[in-house]
Formats: sequence, structure tokens, C-alpha cells
Amino acid sequence: MNNAVEATGLGVRYRRSWALRDCSLAVPAGRVVALVGPNGAGKTTLLHAVVGLLSPDQGRLTTSGEVAFMAQDKPLYGDFRVAEMLRFGRRLNPSWDGEIATERLATLGIPLKRKVSTLSGGEQAQVALVMALAKRPELLVLDEPLVNLDPLARHDVMRALMTSVAERGLTVLISSHVVADLEDTCDWIVVLNRGRVQVSGDIESLRTEHLMLTGPVELADRLDATVIGASYTDRQATLLVRSAGTLDPRWIARQVTLDELVMGYLRSPEAAALPAPVVVQA
Amino acid sequence: MLPVIEFHLNKASGVSTYLQLVHQVKHALRLGMLVPGDQLPTAREVVERLAINPNTVHKAYRELEREGLAMGRPGMGTFVQRSIGGAALVDHARLRSGLAAWVLEGRKAGLDQEDLNAIFSSVVVESFREETA
Amino acid sequence: MTWLTWRQHRAQLITTAGLLIALGVLLLVSGREAAAYIAEHAPAGCPGPDLACGDLNAAIAERYNAIYTVYGWLPIGAPALIGAFWGAPLLGKEFERGTNKLAWTQAVSLRRWLGVKLALLAVAVMLGGLALSAMVSAWRPIFGDRGSFGNLGDFNMLGVAPAAWWLFAFMVGTAAGAVLRRTLPAMAVVVAVVSVVTFGLFSLSDHYAEPTRLVTADATATYTGDVRLVGKAWVDPTGTEMGSPPQGACPRGTDVGRANALQEAYERCLVDKGYRHVVYLHGPEQFWRFQWTDAAILFAGSLLLAGLTARRTTRRRA
Repeated sequence: MNNAVEATGLGVRYRRSWALRDCSLAVPAGRVVALVGPNGAGKTTLLHAVVGLLSPDQGRLTTSGEVAFMAQDKPLYGDFRVAEMLRFGRRLNPSWDGEIATERLATLGIPLKRKVSTLSGGEQAQVALVMALAKRPELLVLDEPLVNLDPLARHDVMRALMTSVAERGLTVLISSHVVADLEDTCDWIVVLNRGRVQVSGDIESLRTEHLMLTGPVELADRLDATVIGASYTDRQATLLVRSAGTLDPRWIARQVTLDELVMGYLRSPEAAALPAPVVVQA
Repeated sequence: MLPVIEFHLNKASGVSTYLQLVHQVKHALRLGMLVPGDQLPTAREVVERLAINPNTVHKAYRELEREGLAMGRPGMGTFVQRSIGGAALVDHARLRSGLAAWVLEGRKAGLDQEDLNAIFSSVVVESFREETA
Repeated sequence: MTWLTWRQHRAQLITTAGLLIALGVLLLVSGREAAAYIAEHAPAGCPGPDLACGDLNAAIAERYNAIYTVYGWLPIGAPALIGAFWGAPLLGKEFERGTNKLAWTQAVSLRRWLGVKLALLAVAVMLGGLALSAMVSAWRPIFGDRGSFGNLGDFNMLGVAPAAWWLFAFMVGTAAGAVLRRTLPAMAVVVAVVSVVTFGLFSLSDHYAEPTRLVTADATATYTGDVRLVGKAWVDPTGTEMGSPPQGACPRGTDVGRANALQEAYERCLVDKGYRHVVYLHGPEQFWRFQWTDAAILFAGSLLLAGLTARRTTRRRA
């Protein structure tokens, strides 16, 4: 199966320091990818590199197929009418499917004659999304698409995205600094921290591999597992672990939520959960 | 044609989304709301309502297929193969009224909701454990 | 891309065309009216540089004062406006509004987007400049032969100069917008650069050709004509050229303020002793040579600026 996005040792400089350093990831096609990390981690930089708005200073990045992008501020030409935005899309993209666009806008009740600047924030977001979807991309990249949207608009946007994925099997890459927004919709997660990829993998697999353990402090040393993060009181230890072997029955284990997983890794910048390297036959 | 079952999501439960879908199908089968031959909603229909990842729906349906409860027919959809549980709806109604009477007795004796739940759960667990012992 | 260029820049195109038409109408009407006035009031051979035309020249200047003012401001004003309103927003506005992230993630490459826009708008801008110089050429002769070479303002409004200036200013604005990524600062840069380069080129033009050397007893006659003065010197009775006559050749007083009487007396004394003025100048026959040289320099500058714009933009797209 094709990888929708492949990066090897990707590095991007920003003035004197590195916005991204040594980033490698491979996302299979047809996935909905959550790109999470604190503000300033390099999410926008990574997305800009994926869509060609900047060139890497180090390493390689490849994407397969047509790529569409919706930037964080959902830019549109304010003085254009909605119909003119569609015309813009048609003139600049040979793969443009005008029918998808007009149908969707009709379903949403957005009139084509309206000037873009007179639309509400949610309507503008929908138009921006239509601009991306009508290109019939193989990869759709969205930079913080839910910020500044009211809950109804958010649901509408996610619904439109998921329906497109169901209909056309496109790969979606969404960045957010709020994990909860993306929990139901994403099946692959990339955690970016201080310009480095800490986690990249299938969400269900990650949740199966990790456990949240609570137990007596004394047991913490003799633990057959990779400890990602830990917090201790006098008596009790709470640990986020990976690949646990046999556990002392005094440990209470439960499944990790996606939020806990991300937080655990963000708090331990040295830890990483990346797919094992694949041996390539010469 | 309206889909025979509508899924809903409980985000707070901590249970994986795909498992929730599987449970809801099984529950519907148990109650006889879904019968063999019924078509399960398409991934697209589910996604349009719930805004979840279509892969989740596919995963849930694959699980149901694995358990032999459903069968996917290429180009046509996913259909219910067999039902669950031996009890007929009539049995369900009878058992419900028996249990309602017991609950009433317990309440009269001064037990509250948690007490009743505790007794009920431990009796059920014991009963099944006796079987496997 | 053609449609997009039109749609995004139609305000500038329409406004500029409108202003040119308005100017054209204004010049036409005032020109007709002036012609009628002159036919009624002017002595033969007027208006012109002759002394006899003095009264008429003054009367015309007074009557058409407003137009002369507008006209006087156009040589720097028009290119500055073109640079500010056509050039600066081209990239400045895209960066400011963030629409660069929309425009440059479409199937059309950034190179093509920029190339088509620059090419189409450059052609439009040059056509505008040509239209302006055509209108001015048609109108000026009515007001007498004021000369078109010596005066910088006149020179820059005729021939191919406006087209070259408008193109150059457009490119300055575009490059400023690409580098500064904001429209208003880019506009300020355009005004500054156009002003500096206008005067800079005028100074540089001294070197466009070998100046004509004139030896004469009366200098004023030469450099009050339609000429560009390059330099002055003196030649002594033996024929040796010198910057200034040796000290003590004639009594030399120092004038106070704007008075010129003592300097004139000094010079008359020198002439009587056999000294002569040497004047280096360019005459009006150099008009086209200078026009094309200016245009070539501005065109080369425009190409460099276009290259700078392309490089800056492709390197940092967001």
C-alpha cells in the first residue's frame, strides 16, 4: 500500500534554530491522521513542508497524489463572490470537480452570489473546505481546522470530512493542539514535540500497547515494562508504560485514553513510540 | 428507506468507538430489533450522522463478521447473518416482570439502588461461576 | 490565470484607465479652449520663447494654472501611484491576508502564477504609460514650443519615458511587497525609490553621450535654451581651458544674496580681456538617444527587480 506521506530525517530551519529536526514518519493511505503537540512544536511548519509551502533544509519528504491544503486562518479572497472562488478553483486546478462544490454549497445553504466577506465564520470555513475537497485530492491537509468555530460548525466540518473519507478513501492530516477534538475521528496519531516526532502510529495499536498502572511505590523499580512517564507519592506510583510483560498482581492496570497517552509523551520529551525500521532488501 | 438501526456514541464511557458500535448491534439483535437479512447502515450513513472515522465502522463490521453475526456483500452492503441468544421476546417480557417484582420487594425492605445493584450483580456472577466451576 | 489576474487587479486597471481618460478629456478640452484663446489674442509666432510673447505666455500660465500644477506633479506622481497601487499590493496583500497559503497550494505553480501576473500587468502598465505620453505630446504644442529635453518634468512625460517609468515603478512596488510582505511599507518604498532614481538618472544622463562644447562670449544665451547643462569652464586668450580664470585677472567682488551685478561685471571684464566661456551641454537633438538610454536602464532595472521578486517569493512562500 502506498504511503500518503513519507518523511525521512526532515529538518527545517527557522532563523538560528531548527523548527523541525530529524523528523521521520510514514503514514499509510486512507488514514485520518491527528498531528498534535503543544503550540510552537512545529506542527504548522511540518504541514507547510508537506504541502510545498516550504522546502526542507535537510532530509526528504514525499507525498503521493494531489494534495489540498486548508491553512489555519482558512484564507479566502474576501471581495470575491462564492461563485468566483469556485471559478478560481476551476481555473487553477485541472482536477477540479465543480459539481461536488456546487452540490455541497447548495446542501449547506450558502448562496453562490454572496460576497465571501459577508459570510459567517462557520460558512467561510465550509467554503474553504469545499475549495480543498473539490480538487479531488488524495491527501487533504488541514491546519487547526476547528479553532474559532462554534460547536455546531465544528461538527459540520468534521462530518463533511468524514463523509469524504467514507466516499473517496482520501487521506486526511489534521493538526490540533486539543487532542479531545480529534479522538473519534482519527485513527493515526503523530505527536510533535519541540520540532521532533515523538510518536507516530495507529491509535488502536498504541492504545493496546500502552497501559496506565497504579500501585505501591516499592514495586516501581522491578517492573517488566518500558516506562514512559511516572508520578509518585509517598506510597503510590502511577506509571504510563509500554510493552508490559508479566505484572505483579498488586498493580492495577487500565487502558490509556488518547489524551493521557499524548500528555505522557509530551511530559517525557526523551521517550518515543515510533514504528520499527523496516528492512529493505537490496 | 430508513436504516433499521441508529447508532449513538457515549464519549465518556472510555470504551472504544468500534466496540460501542459492535455492542449496539449485538444489543439490537438480542432484543430482536435486528433480524437476519436486515442491512446494517453503510459506513457513509453512520459517518454522516456521527462524524466518526469510517474506518471505525469498517472495523466494527469486520468484528461482527468475525463473530459470524454479519456478512459483507461487495457492492451491496453489510447484512445481519444470525441472531443472538435463545430467548424469545416473550421470555424477555416475563423475566422483566419477575425482576420488577423482586426490585419492588427489595425497596420495601429499605434497600436503595446501589444495594439492589450489588446483590443482583453478585448473584449473576456467582451463577455463571458455578457453571464454569 | 488570465481571468484571475483580471479579477484580482480589475480595480487598479479600471481606475487607471478612468484617470487616463479623465486626464485625456481635461487636456483635450483645455487644449481646444487654449487654441481658441491663442487664435484670438496671440501675436504671430506666439506662444514661444520670444520676448514679444511674454505677456501671452503669462496669461496662458495664469489661465491654465490648475492643469499646469497637475501636469507638473505627474512625472514623479504617476509612477509613484502605479508602483504603490499596482505593484505593492500584488504580493503585499497576499502575504497580509494569508491568501498566499491558498493561492500557492493550487495545481498552478507559483512560478506560473507570478510569471503570468507580472507579464500581463507589465504590458498593461506600459500601455498606460504610452497612452499618457501620447496625450501629452498632442496637448503640449498648443502651449508653444516649451522644449522637451532640458526640463526633466517635460522629458519624463514624453516619448517612451512614461512607459518605462511606469514599468519600473510597478516592479519596484512588487519587489518591495515581496521583501517586506506588507503593502503600506512597500508603498512608502516605492515613493522613495522613484524619487531618488528620477533625480539620479537625470544626473547620470550627463554621461549618455559626449557633450557638445561651445565657446562663446555670452553664456546665458546657450543655457537658457532647451538644453542640459553638463559643465562650465573658461578659455583664456591663448586657448587654454581652465576651470576658473587665474586670480587677479579681473577685480572680483562678492555679491550679497541673490544680486548678480558684481559677478556680471567680473565676467564682462574677462570677456573684454579675451577670455571666453566654455559651456558643455547636451542639445535637444539628443532627445531620442536619451529617451532610449533611460528606457534601457529602467527596463534592465525592472528585469532585475522581477528576478529578485521571483527569488524572494519562491524561497519563502509562507
